[in-house]
Amino acid sequence: MFTQFFGSYLLNKQIVSADNLKKAMELKSSTRVKLGVLAINAGYMTAKQVDAVHKMQATVDKRIGDIAVEMGYLTPEQVTELLSAQKTGCLVLGQTLVDMGCLTNEEFEEALNSYKSEHHLEDEDFSTENEKKAGNVIGSFFKLSKTANADLISEYINILLKNLIRFIGDDFAPINECAVQPTDTAVTQNISGESNFVTSVAGSDKAMIEFASRYAEEQLTENDEYTKDVVSEFLNLNNGLFTVNVSNNSGKELKLSPQQACTADKVAKLKAKYTVKVPVAFSFGNIVFTICEV
Amino acid sequence: MSALSQAKILICDDSMMIRKKMRSLLEGYGVTNISEAKDGKEAVEKYAEVLPDITFMDIVMPEMSGVDALKAIKEKYPDAVVVMATSIGTEGNLTEAIRYGASDFLQKPVEEERLKKLLGHYFKEA
Repeated sequence: MFTQFFGSYLLNKQIVSADNLKKAMELKSSTRVKLGVLAINAGYMTAKQVDAVHKMQATVDKRIGDIAVEMGYLTPEQVTELLSAQKTGCLVLGQTLVDMGCLTNEEFEEALNSYKSEHHLEDEDFSTENEKKAGNVIGSFFKLSKTANADLISEYINILLKNLIRFIGDDFAPINECAVQPTDTAVTQNISGESNFVTSVAGSDKAMIEFASRYAEEQLTENDEYTKDVVSEFLNLNNGLFTVNVSNNSGKELKLSPQQACTADKVAKLKAKYTVKVPVAFSFGNIVFTICEV
Repeated sequence: MSALSQAKILICDDSMMIRKKMRSLLEGYGVTNISEAKDGKEAVEKYAEVLPDITFMDIVMPEMSGVDALKAIKEKYPDAVVVMATSIGTEGNLTEAIRYGASDFLQKPVEEERLKKLLGHYFKEA
């Protein structure tokens, strides 16, 4: 999920546009991370050195690694190490944006380093999906520090984002704001226990149809009862896995109510103690999840 | 032990998608006698009507929960084989379901291998 938040970071800092980010999210599955990006990430080469190697490659018929060694930027051992290094999602996204011409190597270097330093992230956190740090990134992005039940909400968002990656796709970025039309379709489900929550998911017809198509693994064409049923089942599955997690971690038993389809304005009018919105921008459109404590 | 292809199976889930996916998996194993119920109340009625060899029961359903439906079925049919198929496999829910006589538990999303293994406990050629 650090990849998705790297996308959000690039968007929030206005380093890339929403359209280009969506396009990169769509294209990244076919991207091959090149040696230059790997070397920048490992701190073995600066972006300027990578650019110099690329410039040289245009004039000689040699591999990038060999040129970098000849120019004294890398040792042969470092080349071998980099080529077998794990290509984490952030690097794939960065490489896609560089390939698209939306980022220079230098801008990528700067953005990746500031993203890592802002959230105190190390390379190994990316490959192990460090839970504690994921919680910190979620808390900071959704400004949960002043929210009651912040740990529980953060756990909910963590599970939600993991389930989105697992069942819908990794081509999304959490965003701060996203307007939902009052007439947009929504599905709600109550979670009750020591505290009571109303969870929901809402989106435009187009976004809901594509979201449901991916979850059901069949191409749906209308926002009909079946599409709402599929979205509703995703919410139920997510909330079910959340209750299992809470039960395993803290021994607290939460109950779920059957889901209900409604419109987004009904969710907006709920009398809640507080509401946390989790809008996510997929390449096919925006989907907004909400968690309200009632 | 009877053959899986001859089995009568009841799927109880409020989600059309889950019923469709379960039906498709079971049909892939050659099962033809499949019934469906969309809530707990309908599950109890359908059970009495078809007397299935095995029932897959969701927990969170409208009208009547899967655990209440299980309780009602087991009271009348103590030998009923009811498998709870749910995403909310918390200790509390599982303990309650076992207390009321659930035979097994299937975690959602249903993994084909796990379903096949489970059916192998009750039928031949699973």
